[in-house]
Amino acid sequence: MKQTMRDLLLMTWFWASGLLILMILLAIIIYLTGRGGTFISSEFILESPRGFPLGTEGGIFPAIKGTLWLILLALVISIVPGLLTAMYLSEYGRSGRLADFINLLVQSMAGVPSIITGLFVYALGVVTLGWGISLLAGGVALAIMVFPVIVVSSRNALQAVDENYRLVANSLGVAKSYTLFRIILPRAAPGILAGILLALGYAAGATAPIMVTAAAIIASSSGALFEPVMALPYHLYILFIEHISLNHAYATALVLVGLVLFLNILALSLNSLQERLNRQ
Amino acid sequence: MINPGIELKENIIRYTIIGAATISSLLLLAMLLFILRESWPIWSQIGISAFLSGSSWKPLNSPPQIGILSMIVSTLWVAGGALLIATPLGFGCAIFLAEFAPSSLAAVLRPVVNMLTGIPSVVFGFLGAAILVRFFEVKFDLSSGESLFAASIILAIMVIPFIVANSEAALRSVASEYRHAGIALGVSRQYLTMRILVPLARKGMLGALVLAFGRAMGETMAVLMLAGNTLRLPGSWFDKGEPLPALIALELGSSIPGSLHYQALFAAGLVLVLMVIAVNLCVNLLLKRIQKEV
Repeated sequence: MKQTMRDLLLMTWFWASGLLILMILLAIIIYLTGRGGTFISSEFILESPRGFPLGTEGGIFPAIKGTLWLILLALVISIVPGLLTAMYLSEYGRSGRLADFINLLVQSMAGVPSIITGLFVYALGVVTLGWGISLLAGGVALAIMVFPVIVVSSRNALQAVDENYRLVANSLGVAKSYTLFRIILPRAAPGILAGILLALGYAAGATAPIMVTAAAIIASSSGALFEPVMALPYHLYILFIEHISLNHAYATALVLVGLVLFLNILALSLNSLQERLNRQ
Repeated sequence: MINPGIELKENIIRYTIIGAATISSLLLLAMLLFILRESWPIWSQIGISAFLSGSSWKPLNSPPQIGILSMIVSTLWVAGGALLIATPLGFGCAIFLAEFAPSSLAAVLRPVVNMLTGIPSVVFGFLGAAILVRFFEVKFDLSSGESLFAASIILAIMVIPFIVANSEAALRSVASEYRHAGIALGVSRQYLTMRILVPLARKGMLGALVLAFGRAMGETMAVLMLAGNTLRLPGSWFDKGEPLPALIALELGSSIPGSLHYQALFAAGLVLVLMVIAVNLCVNLLLKRIQKEV
């Protein structure tokens, strides 16, 4: 009897935690959609902030544009080093000392708080190199932040490719680089792409690194490298913290979450495509 | 290789890849060294112990008072508190997913947990400040509802997905012989889980907690919007405080480059990043030991 009582309590604990977490996410999505959804209109998406204080009227178009510029720049900067590092770890280094060391560094980098990346880029780019608060500085900060994400996901995708391809190619005397670029890489492509999309979503939502390197309360976000930009997460922060407009803050949060979740869901579906490909 | 041209090309590609991987990974060390350089005057003039144990932060006074004890204590309170809230929920959900959830529910819950990691921290901070803090203000009749406790609750929601994913992986990696043996002996699923699977997976589950602790320490936006941003030494979980990331985010833009204030912020950043890296290295050692045992 005591036994069944305890088992019942345990089951309650397991079910309750699972359902609570499910409810938290549903509550967030439903609440954001309910509060923010009514303020989203074509005007809100396509116009600049207006009114006094700025942001009480108008829209968030420059913030959307700025966020897209930032994540695009971060991707352009980080993709080549990220892919090359992943290729090294999966194909050339395997289990050597250097590979172990690089793995450790990449893993530690993934744990570095994003504000520290911002601090570093602020000192190096904004102050020492004289870039000022700019799109370039923000792009570099976000690139450093997503680099480990790209490395780890691409490395895992490459490693998951069936070992037999490598063995057969090697035994046929095919050059290693040919095997890598023509056989392994295409088979890992969906997984790598999924990692890149995840990295983009991560960069789009990051606030701390851009608030010290790139973001401005109002800017045209034309894409000029040495100009500050507006960005969705920072705009949301300002709208709320400066008590400008709670309604617009909810709507901005909804747009931001929508963008990030869209990228994440795309990544998830690419990952399951990759898994099916690996099982073939 | 038969053809020297191909061999040359192979070597070029090989060394390009090795070089790129090495250089880009060394960026972490470059970052640490650069932050150390920027903060050097603090260590040499004020000293490590005075900087870490001073509880007064008035960098613009003359003479300036520069100590980050209050921020370190705040950081530990919010992160530790977040873990206190997140651990039972995270472990419960991980065990649920690994052992008990009906497969149809697990198929929904797993992507949901995954999606929680995707929601930007500023959105969590905003919702926490707009809903949770307001709720505290109304419910307990406070003039302002921000506190380390409020920040901990939101941080807990943010780290739960990491705890769930890593602990579930640890539970699933327990060899299936144990499960079969348990079932064959006729013990209940609950007994099997709590007395056999969890003890076997405990190191991986502990690793998940430590990793979550590191994340919580370094999180900026949620604490910036929820912890209250006062520079006093917090006396309890329900006081206001200003964790290290919030301090840096708030003051960096207004500090004059090269001033003691600016250097002190870099010193604070160095302390934060070293705390987080130390935590991550612990996890790494822990996981290495598990691999050896298995």
